[in-house]
Amino acid sequence: MNFWDYIKDRIIIYIMKTTAIVISIIFLSAFNVKSQAIIVVTNILVVTVLMSELWEYFRKRDFYIRLNNSLAELDKKYLLPELVNYPEFYEGKIMVNALRECDKSMAENVAEYRRQNKEFREYIEMWVHEAKIPVASLRLMCHNNQDVGRKMTGQIKRIDDYIESVLYYARSENPELDYVIKEVSLKKIFGSVAVRNREALQILDAAIETDGLDINVLTDGKWIEFIIGQLMANSIKYCSPDRKLFLRAWADNNDKGVIFHFRDNGKGILKEDIPYIFEKSFTGHNGRENKSSTGMGLFIVSNLCERLGHRIDVVSEYGKYTEIQIVFGKNDFYKMS
Amino acid sequence: MNKILIVEDDRTLCEELSILLENAGYLVSTIADFNDVFLQMKEADVDLILLDINLPGENGEVLLQKYRKDSDTPIIMLTSRTDDIDEVLSMSYGADDYITKPYNPTILLLRISAVLKRSVKKGQTQMYNDVQVSFVSGSIMRNGMEQILTKNEMIIFGLLLDHKGEIVSRDDMMTVLWDNDEYLNDNALSVNISRLRTKLSELGIGDAIETRKKQGYLLK
Repeated sequence: MNFWDYIKDRIIIYIMKTTAIVISIIFLSAFNVKSQAIIVVTNILVVTVLMSELWEYFRKRDFYIRLNNSLAELDKKYLLPELVNYPEFYEGKIMVNALRECDKSMAENVAEYRRQNKEFREYIEMWVHEAKIPVASLRLMCHNNQDVGRKMTGQIKRIDDYIESVLYYARSENPELDYVIKEVSLKKIFGSVAVRNREALQILDAAIETDGLDINVLTDGKWIEFIIGQLMANSIKYCSPDRKLFLRAWADNNDKGVIFHFRDNGKGILKEDIPYIFEKSFTGHNGRENKSSTGMGLFIVSNLCERLGHRIDVVSEYGKYTEIQIVFGKNDFYKMS
Repeated sequence: MNKILIVEDDRTLCEELSILLENAGYLVSTIADFNDVFLQMKEADVDLILLDINLPGENGEVLLQKYRKDSDTPIIMLTSRTDDIDEVLSMSYGADDYITKPYNPTILLLRISAVLKRSVKKGQTQMYNDVQVSFVSGSIMRNGMEQILTKNEMIIFGLLLDHKGEIVSRDDMMTVLWDNDEYLNDNALSVNISRLRTKLSELGIGDAIETRKKQGYLLK
């Protein structure tokens, strides 16, 4: 609370009070009151006005300074009403009441959205599980009728992948955590991702090389399978047309943790695009060439990694290769629990 | 012949599963009335149960827990749920395996035969006519002659042996090889098969593996 601003704000009151005192003096002299008496009365009036103004200023000043300080210190400004105490003056009480009322209504509003969000997420989860049943039937039908099925398997796999990505998007965007951290073998996870993508990889006549994956990391098995699945899907999608796809996956183990590397010899990523590839809806140069890019895959991947406490990095040279590294920390599990 | 009970409430999925398993040479029974699944499970005289988790009435995990109290018939849980929590729970309740939908049919069959084998405790050597196949040392022997097979060749030969007299498609071979972390491409598979044939002919049975055009291979 600035003193001069406060004075400026009350200037009308001062003018009125001064005028009243001046008029009183004029009247008193008009009635021939002795000049000593006039001086005494004037003094009493001036001192009273000054005292009352100072008292008013200081009681308000304390309250507003505390209010401003609280506001400046809070990182979540909307929590302010929780910190404000009722002041002694009336207007302040009205204001605090209004603030608290606002706060309550806002909290209710937020709770309502949270509930809707949660219901929607639950619906998505249920929908995904329901949708997987006919997909499972279709896969079996394809297998049971090989001649018709062969062509459809690839498309069914695409449907299944899209369904899966909806599920993990819903999961990655929500604060509710529903993962299980346990020891997971990278070899097993990579194997099942490779088997899932076998048809697509074989059509491209891709070669895969793995090294040192026989190692356990602390993570959620299903989530990491989805993450590696997305990386592989990207390698397949953005493979270079003038050479055969070659995928290499390996793991380094040092005292900080395990680093999983996944490298392809595809199109690579433009240098200016690299800082943005984990951002939502970013498609970049490769995305403009490929109409089916959504910009969601790597965004979901980095979100999930963050949730799980893994670091994800990318190294790439345009036209040569892309390498994604996932760092599984050794102590992350304990930090999180 | 092994008998399998399918507990799955989605009619279409259940039918397709039956077809798949019957084609693979199993006797299949299914459940039509979901009011007393537990009783039907108990009364069924089968070698393996495929149990869905999301069932009307009692869910699969509850059924599994109750069933495990007095029976150790192998059970494979089938589910469309995709979180680890269910898997951990199911395994701790005594499930033998856990497979999520939509499953790869070949892998489903592999897992089933793996669970059945585990429950019979078959030895590590098998006979193919007068050839002794040792999975431990990765070799085949006939009349005192021995041939060492590579891991890939062993997987291929083992698969053909499991389906003796039936056609095994290249696609199925690939799935099995990839499932064993051997990421071969089409050419490499052909090379492996021809090497395997050479090794078999060294033992005097060069014509054991027959090629069926556009269908696959068959071990006579």
